[in-house]
Amino acid sequence: MMWIELAHFATIIALLMAVVQLMAPVVGVLALRPAWVRVGRQAAYVVAVALTLAVIGVVISFLNHDFSVKYVAEHSSLSLPFFYRLTALWGGHEGSLLFWAWLLGLYTAMAVWRHWSSHPHSVPVVLSVLGAVITGFLVLILFLSSPFERLPRPPMDGRDLNPMLQDPGMVFHPPFLYMGYVGFAIPFAFALAALVNGRITDEWIVATRRWTLFSWAMLSTGIVFGAYWAYHVLGWGGYWAWDPVENASFIPWLVATAFLHSNMVQERRHMFMRWNLFLIITTFSLSLLGTFLVRSGVLSSVHAFASDPGRGVYILMFMTVVLLASFGLLVFRSDRLKSEVRLESLLSTEAAFLFNNLFLVVAALTVLLGTLYPLAMETLGSAKVTVGAPYYNKVFVPIMFIVLALMGVGPMLVWRGMQAQRLLRAVWIPLAGASIAAGLAFSFLGVRHPYGIVCIFLALFVAVSHGLDWGAAVRKKMIAAKQGFIPASSNLIRRNKRRYGGFMVHLGIVVMTVGFVGSGLFQEEKELVLAQGDFVVMGDWRLTFTGIHSVQGSNWTAQEALITAETDHGKKITLRPQKRVYNNHPMPATEAAISSHFLEDIYVVLGEPVSDANWAFRLYRNPLVSWVWGGAEMMALGILWSLLQGRSFKSKKRVDGTGPALQVDPSHS
Amino acid sequence: MQNSRRLYLILTIFVVVGALGALLWTSFTGSLVYFYTPTEILQTGSDKSGHKVRIGGMVQEGSLVKQPGSLKMRFLVTDGTNRLAVTYEGMPPDLFREGQGVVVEGVWRPGQDFNAGTVLAKHSEDYIPVKMTQEGIARSKENMLRTLK
Repeated sequence: MMWIELAHFATIIALLMAVVQLMAPVVGVLALRPAWVRVGRQAAYVVAVALTLAVIGVVISFLNHDFSVKYVAEHSSLSLPFFYRLTALWGGHEGSLLFWAWLLGLYTAMAVWRHWSSHPHSVPVVLSVLGAVITGFLVLILFLSSPFERLPRPPMDGRDLNPMLQDPGMVFHPPFLYMGYVGFAIPFAFALAALVNGRITDEWIVATRRWTLFSWAMLSTGIVFGAYWAYHVLGWGGYWAWDPVENASFIPWLVATAFLHSNMVQERRHMFMRWNLFLIITTFSLSLLGTFLVRSGVLSSVHAFASDPGRGVYILMFMTVVLLASFGLLVFRSDRLKSEVRLESLLSTEAAFLFNNLFLVVAALTVLLGTLYPLAMETLGSAKVTVGAPYYNKVFVPIMFIVLALMGVGPMLVWRGMQAQRLLRAVWIPLAGASIAAGLAFSFLGVRHPYGIVCIFLALFVAVSHGLDWGAAVRKKMIAAKQGFIPASSNLIRRNKRRYGGFMVHLGIVVMTVGFVGSGLFQEEKELVLAQGDFVVMGDWRLTFTGIHSVQGSNWTAQEALITAETDHGKKITLRPQKRVYNNHPMPATEAAISSHFLEDIYVVLGEPVSDANWAFRLYRNPLVSWVWGGAEMMALGILWSLLQGRSFKSKKRVDGTGPALQVDPSHS
Repeated sequence: MQNSRRLYLILTIFVVVGALGALLWTSFTGSLVYFYTPTEILQTGSDKSGHKVRIGGMVQEGSLVKQPGSLKMRFLVTDGTNRLAVTYEGMPPDLFREGQGVVVEGVWRPGQDFNAGTVLAKHSEDYIPVKMTQEGIARSKENMLRTLK
């Protein structure tokens, strides 16, 4: 029964060691005593082990139903299934923060172990920076938001985990999100190391390339898991509501995406040095902001912020220190950051990346404005406002269309610059293909909304431009190596994982965008009362209410309706929407029934009985939602493939037939 | 040559950022939805007539009337001082109950029943509905924008 004390004690040790990790390398560098840096390294390992013990202690308290622990009593119950007890650690603020700190401890240990001998000048600063961040978190956990608190009078049963969180989507959403957030701490620390040491080369970019890719992949996956959870649990037929909680994770994603592109420019052309430092510092700061916005109660209400003034003030101070220290360092060192290289032409890869960055950052700003403005208004007490989907549809979507257009032009451009005629020769085929597709959609599919037309146009444009580029590279390889199509293309994809992994990510994003626009524009919704035997038509489907009965789960009971859905082509499925009541919660929760198909989802929500045999239902036909999930899977595959590339592509020979981006335009060389 | 190219680049960026900024700001201010309690909205008179607003308060005990056999309903939203009649057609959220907190969104037309397009039930983080005692009503003014998650 002492597990929680063990966890508490381990966390105290971790805090002490984090301070050692923060201070020792500073002493070591200033006093020129490398032994002190090694002390810092050992401290980092101890932090990782101690925080692992702390996490184990809390998880075991959940498994043992130790309701004398306040955090367990508030987020678990006797009837909570094993799987959710195992993951209830991140069911509330306190545990989430501990989980965050634990991940950072693990990452720090891994980073130090990996980069110890390869980056001896950076490692001391990296240790100190990460030590400072962990210290900040552990002080918050131990003094203001402790998951280790005991209750004087333990209850017989816990308050249970919020039923909305009892869903597989919510089990995976927070850890993936956090693996992303925390991962950006490593490139952030290396960037600060470059600034502190004044050795502002491209080393930090190359060293942390994989950390960046990995974190970006985790953050992307985490956001998609969140959307998937919302779609399955919240029962309003959608997956993204531009809710501040969602935006909080999306803003760092946008800036990280900009960084992912612009760091390639620095690797290849030694440009955008200041900009890259700015982007990674911003990404990590926004990751912190995202964590705190969601996990401090600031967002759900300003009042909660005031109800625990200590926590709020501490978080504000912590953010201020991080922002001032890192941006201050950037400004202080900015005279050393003058890039020797200038942009030579607007028709070049680096210019395309510049505009990609510009639009992504503006997109991040639009979301940030929509998220923080209501908070600011409320805090100032002038008015309470909400910013809804119409704002984002009007502003954010067009910006993203521009980014997609740039994505399509990307593969056709070369570094340094090219002549306009050459670009025109390359661009007309994808443009023509895209125009034909948009025209067909307009005349045959009946797509009238400008966003629909633009989306189809851009999707085809990107797909064709990437396909053509790949096809040309395969043809070259077939001729050069005298290979058949299949060996040539598989060789090519294996030789340049980074490029073709990137292509896969791009195609995944295109597929997702088609899903977003399709489900956003063409959703069909019906709310009505059905008696048994009544039917309703949604698209090609005829949905009949055939019966209702009670079902019993492990910790809930439910009314379950049977809806038979049939098409003219003889497809027949049964949907089972439920209205659940969980044992420990007085209020009902909705469990939507979803039948996913390639082109559309049928989504049914059961309401309340209107009279004896009549029940209220809400039904949706959501076109192309499965494309969102499918595109996300493509994106994940692509990024995994890119991660496998060991060498940076700078060290590759310049002309090896892998596409225009690796060729030098003869007119400029 | 080098300098004029740079100038063009800076000009391009300037124009693009300016246009985006203008687009952003007009859309932003145009799509803000303001939040009021019944007392506050009644005080605005006809200022907000035709605007989309959110109104929050408590569903008054005993005021909920459902039209039999349909999804139409009418109820009073109160902030303890003033009341506002609200009509809604559709499935209310799971936590919608008399005596509990609610936020309704719709177009404000003074002198008429407030026709809500959206009804949100307020609840705490532990999925427990916000009890609306007198103190709760006072607190809810601060708490009203709790979202559904």
